[in-house]
Amino acid sequence: MFARRSDLLLDKDALSRFLPWLIAFMVFLAILAMAGMLVLNATASRWDQGIRGTLTVQVMPAEDPAKDDERLQVVLSVLAQMPEIDRYEMLTDDRLLKLLEPWLGPAAGSRDLPLPRLVDVELKTNADLNAEVLSRQLAARVPGTSVDDHRIWLKRLVRLIQTVEGLATLVLAFIALATVGTVVFTTRTGLDIHREAIEVMHLIGAQDSYVAGQFASRAFALGLKGGVFGLLLAVPTLLGIGYLAQQMDSSLMPDITLGPVHWSALAGLPLVVSLIAMVTARITVMKTLSRML
Amino acid sequence: MTTDDSETVVRFENVGLRYGLGPEVLQDVTFFLAAGSFHFLVGDSGAGKSSLLKLIYLALKPSRGLISLFGRDIATTPRRELPAMRRRVGVVFQEFRLLNHLSAFDNVALPLRVAGVRKSDIQKHVVELLSWVGLKDHLDARPPTLSGGQQQRISIARAVISRPKLLLADEPTGNVDDRMAMRLLHLFEELNKLGTTVIIATHNSHLVKKLKFPKMHLDEGWMEIVGADTERASVPPASEPGPGGGLFDDGDDDGTRPDLEKLF
Repeated sequence: MFARRSDLLLDKDALSRFLPWLIAFMVFLAILAMAGMLVLNATASRWDQGIRGTLTVQVMPAEDPAKDDERLQVVLSVLAQMPEIDRYEMLTDDRLLKLLEPWLGPAAGSRDLPLPRLVDVELKTNADLNAEVLSRQLAARVPGTSVDDHRIWLKRLVRLIQTVEGLATLVLAFIALATVGTVVFTTRTGLDIHREAIEVMHLIGAQDSYVAGQFASRAFALGLKGGVFGLLLAVPTLLGIGYLAQQMDSSLMPDITLGPVHWSALAGLPLVVSLIAMVTARITVMKTLSRML
Repeated sequence: MTTDDSETVVRFENVGLRYGLGPEVLQDVTFFLAAGSFHFLVGDSGAGKSSLLKLIYLALKPSRGLISLFGRDIATTPRRELPAMRRRVGVVFQEFRLLNHLSAFDNVALPLRVAGVRKSDIQKHVVELLSWVGLKDHLDARPPTLSGGQQQRISIARAVISRPKLLLADEPTGNVDDRMAMRLLHLFEELNKLGTTVIIATHNSHLVKKLKFPKMHLDEGWMEIVGADTERASVPPASEPGPGGGLFDDGDDDGTRPDLEKLF
């Protein structure tokens, strides 16, 4: 499959049967690592865009529920006077209950439960608002009011995601290195197995590139064969994970679906691995043959 | 010894060869072979015949001395240019060195493939040459399924298929009967008449005596060229007898001479 005619008996090598399997497993792992990386990246990006420049003001319920509205109005009037704020919006009770439902269950629907009032605040672009100062100002006017600055936890979240992304990249790099190492090993072994035939070809005037081309072409074919098999193993795995994620409560899980661009990138991985195998085999053979007269 | 570099195919000057730290198997070998010459390489077993041939077909580097091939000093020729030089040299290895996984056809076609010859030309020439050496019915046979003589003929066909400028043959008739030996020698002689320089290493003293070509005689690593009337032994045109008489003066031209213009 895919390989051009060979003067060497590369097809029958035990190594030729062993390499596609190794590459299949490596591509399988690489696709999982890459899919994880892409999902994390997309999630971080969505969260970043969604939360950047937003604050949540929380007005705790007063001991006397009748004063809750009054306290809220004071807070809103302070917010209205601040030039850094683009817009603000009070969360309705229904929305609040819906947000609490995953944690409190149906009890969240009970109207007897004292709930804080939440105000979503959106800052103007590049606004330099110190959340702590705002929090102190509001608390001074309405005790029990606090400001939740999303940027702080977002920063931590993004740092975590970036670390995991970095690890996934490292895993990919290790897989690439392992692939290169495996191809170098199999190619060198192949050169030893076919030493006699290569020497004859060399003596009848074959250029190094002619011999290297045969190994490279074979490595590409085996890489693609193994890579496609790895992809075929990985796709159902990813679909399975996606299905399980969909079964979970959507409000607790970030969206981890892969888009068409992501799928295309993953589908291209076997080709990338085949090209790595091809180039590695070629370089290995050229280097080895260069030591011959 | 006078030389003209433009006509010199092989030149050795004070060449010595040793394997590892062992004794020199070739010592101060100095000679030149003119284009179109025909030599036998003789000597006892272990005299260094195969080593000398290996130096000529660039399988070994000399431990000392200078070797030039087709007028170019091997030591100073860039490695990337050596394959092109090797393609001008046809070699019949003593142990054949056929690729056992390839058919007779593919073995003979290999030098042409390596040289990038078109597929249609390869097909035509290889089939014709294999037919001529009597292996028309064995085109697809793998060497291990053939006899020693048949393998030797494949090896010879592979060496001559690209019509080399220099042909080196190490015991090329060792495994064939007299009739086939003569037929193969006809092939070498015809190639020689077309300008190929030929060196045949052999133990066959009968053959060497019968054919009055000069001899490169190796004895314990030392070499001298003896025989014929000159060190530079060119074979005369086909219409004339060779030095000291042609190969086929005994009237054995029984249709076994190849028509090389047709073959190649």
